[in-house]
Amino acid sequence: MSNSLDSYLVLSGLLFAIGTFGFLARRNAISMLMSIELMLNAVNLTIIAFGAFVKPLHVHASVIALIVIAVAAAEATVGLAIVIAIYRNKKTPLVDEYDSMSQ
Amino acid sequence: MPIGQTLPFTAVRWDDVLFVVLAIMLLGSALLVVTMRDIIRCGLAMIASFASLAGIYVLLGNPLLAATQVLVYIGAISILVLFAIMLTQTKNAPTRLVFQTQAWIGAVAAVVIAAIIAGTVLTTTWPSTGAVAWTATSDIATMLFGQYVLPFEVVSVLLTAAVVGGVLLARREPPADKEDRS
Amino acid sequence: MTALLPLIPILPLGGFVLTGLLGRRYPDDAHRIAVWAVVASWVVASIVAVMALLHASPFGTGGAGITLWTWIPANGFASGFNASMGLFVDPLTACLLIVVTTIGMLVHVYSIGYMAHDPGRWRFFAYLNLFMFSMLLLVMADNFLLVFAGWELVGLCSYLLIGFWYPRRTAAVAAKKAFLVNRIGDMGFALGIMAIWTQLGTLNMQDVFAKFGSVPHEWQIAIALLIFCGAVGKSAQFPLHVWLPDAMEGPTPVSALIHAATMVNAGVYLVARCNPIFGAAPEVMVVVAAIGIFTAILAASIAFTQTDIKRVLAYSTLSQLGYMFASLGVGAWTAAIFHLMSHGFFKGLLFLDSGSVIHSVDGEQDMRKMGGLARKIPITYATMLVGAVAISGVPPLAGFFSKDEILGGAFKNGFLWVWAIGFVVAGMTAFYMFRLMGMTFWGPSHVDPEVEHHIHESPRSMTGPLILLAIPAALLGLAIGFPPETGLLHQWLAPVFASTIAASGHTEAAYNFFGVDGALAIGTTALVAVAIVLAWRLFGVEIPVLGLRAQPRPDQVREISARRGLALLYKGSFNKWWFDDINNKLFVEWGGKLAAAAFWFDRTVVDGTVNGIGTVTAGAGGWLRRVQTGRVQNYALGIALGLILVAAGYLVIAAR
Repeated sequence: MSNSLDSYLVLSGLLFAIGTFGFLARRNAISMLMSIELMLNAVNLTIIAFGAFVKPLHVHASVIALIVIAVAAAEATVGLAIVIAIYRNKKTPLVDEYDSMSQ
Repeated sequence: MPIGQTLPFTAVRWDDVLFVVLAIMLLGSALLVVTMRDIIRCGLAMIASFASLAGIYVLLGNPLLAATQVLVYIGAISILVLFAIMLTQTKNAPTRLVFQTQAWIGAVAAVVIAAIIAGTVLTTTWPSTGAVAWTATSDIATMLFGQYVLPFEVVSVLLTAAVVGGVLLARREPPADKEDRS
Repeated sequence: MTALLPLIPILPLGGFVLTGLLGRRYPDDAHRIAVWAVVASWVVASIVAVMALLHASPFGTGGAGITLWTWIPANGFASGFNASMGLFVDPLTACLLIVVTTIGMLVHVYSIGYMAHDPGRWRFFAYLNLFMFSMLLLVMADNFLLVFAGWELVGLCSYLLIGFWYPRRTAAVAAKKAFLVNRIGDMGFALGIMAIWTQLGTLNMQDVFAKFGSVPHEWQIAIALLIFCGAVGKSAQFPLHVWLPDAMEGPTPVSALIHAATMVNAGVYLVARCNPIFGAAPEVMVVVAAIGIFTAILAASIAFTQTDIKRVLAYSTLSQLGYMFASLGVGAWTAAIFHLMSHGFFKGLLFLDSGSVIHSVDGEQDMRKMGGLARKIPITYATMLVGAVAISGVPPLAGFFSKDEILGGAFKNGFLWVWAIGFVVAGMTAFYMFRLMGMTFWGPSHVDPEVEHHIHESPRSMTGPLILLAIPAALLGLAIGFPPETGLLHQWLAPVFASTIAASGHTEAAYNFFGVDGALAIGTTALVAVAIVLAWRLFGVEIPVLGLRAQPRPDQVREISARRGLALLYKGSFNKWWFDDINNKLFVEWGGKLAAAAFWFDRTVVDGTVNGIGTVTAGAGGWLRRVQTGRVQNYALGIALGLILVAAGYLVIAAR
């Protein structure tokens, strides 16, 4: 089981689906950001799994995953800053009360 | 006394046991992240899921990634998220409704996505070697500072920009704009 | 030697970066880096261009290039798609280098004075430098993808600079218009590049040209047409010509540099550069000639009646670009490049002059509120006169030689209809140019008395470039175009076009002044002379010439234009043949109606249904209305559902 690429890919698929659900369903902006982190982690898991099991991707996958982590850190920084800025304006962290895009 | 390759008295390998345990922890804590009512507990569950993922990285023979996962995700991003939670929680915010009204469609969509991915994965024949290949940290270093040095530098620029941008966005008072508005 | 090539575009790029980063902090010195960067680039470019034009080593007759790095490595794509970051200079590029860097440098210097009081001038100089970089990249690129990158970058700079005074609504609208109209042409160019890749598997220009004969003929036609489509957009030919006149909302140095002397020539350059492609598709050559000459006469007829000084020049630019395309279409390649160079200089000069005029009368652009300026701004007047005489085609100034070669080429290559229209346009050009001179500089003054007393000559940083530009505008023809068809330029460019001309089967008869060539030249000159005299009589002179003292005759113009039939023509010309109105009708109004219908449909049918359901079941209605609530998660849900749809569809197809 731990030596089969399929199990890791399915695991990452499930994690991605959970993240998707969280992103679509939660009302809190920070919850949505956390869900995005879960999805990013799922993607990273896929990359690493491919790197471990597929010969030509071996070390490349680790480098790419490292870069993804760095970008994710940048994304989290900016995302949370935006949430805080919006919160300051709207006085609520609930996304479904942000509707100025409809105007 | 060295423990054997397999669980005592059975043919089940320790690796498999670890994998199952970690996978259950990962999925369970991830589910908690997206379902729990109290957002601070969600954040804590997220840390648990990050940690179990780090364990899985070790299983995949990639200790550097596992270490990075712990340092960056648990050490930095989770703390950032917890700070953001503290800054944005108001007492009068209704905590009762954690899901919005369209949540059930999101659930259906997530299940369908999971089914599609799982189906695709299981029906595809991957060019897999069938065994985990150990990834040495020195190999990663050689590649990162050799072939991938330009992306590496670009990422460092991105991080700087993100830090500056984050500070600018989250600054409490907008600066008095004295610069020319040409 | 080739190691110098990267310096040419990199210097302005550095100038752009430095000015962009530091300009805001040091607004008073913002121009220094930018101007010096361009001057340095001009020095390097001049050395390179001279070497290339003399066919010296390492350029030889075929040109030489340098590959900086592999931009897109071949193993990145399954198809082996690859592109290199390479620069290439041959005599054709060298000609463009001279025009772009020389005029670019003079415009930079001119802008120091022209933009002196603008608070955003650091932005202006940064954009100008970015433009120089993009344009140099465009002319020096050695593969189509890099050309396309430069192509889009100049489009971006054009957008930024037209909309430079963005608080002014018309400027913002004009910038948007230019950008959108250009997109149509760029789309064609991009498709052409893709077609080249699919047919030949390479984008390197020299490889493409060498192998182009092996492409099926229908693909040759398609590729040539698509590339020409790009050229039509960038060079503002009919039917995509509507953006250029509006582009005059930008600052005048921009009009001179981008919308007269360099960027709009990119289309001409591209077609000339791709001469093996067009040579292989003679059907497309006819289209090129037809569109070119039609634009020439259309624009000239509009220029007759415009009253905004810059718009007259803009239509004149359109008309002259049409000439160049007609010249390319009839196979007179060298003549087209010759006209490109001479036009670059004299039209750049005319625009800078118009800027100087506008500067002196406090921003007024309407020629009906000018007049009698000749004595008050003598340097501007003298240089503009040189430009006007040059564009009209009076021997021995630059325009005469290049225009004569185009008309001669059309006549001798058997395109009599092109020659006939071109002949008429030559007369029209002289007429509207001297109408402009008459309304602006001669006759009684109609300047606002408020402004009248402080009309002043422009500062030296502005008049200097004018004088420097007037020299090539006057003498370029004699220097590189004389004797006709065997002059220096022909020797320089002969290797570039030799094989295409040989393949086209046009036998080059030697230039014979005492034969058909001389007759054509004298005929054109006579027509031009008549047109000038006519314009001079109608729009008036108070400066005695050879003892003549003519009175302006605006009343006569009114009489003539009031005649039935002529009145309609006048109105048509004045309203630019209603092209803007047609576009407005077609795309804005009818498109708007379509959108309104969709809106009505949305309001009554969609919302009605929604409300209907809502009244039946409040829950369902409430959910349906959410589709347009502007909440992030509704859209995210759409993305997720779309992902599922695509993935499922792909799986279904793959399973089959």
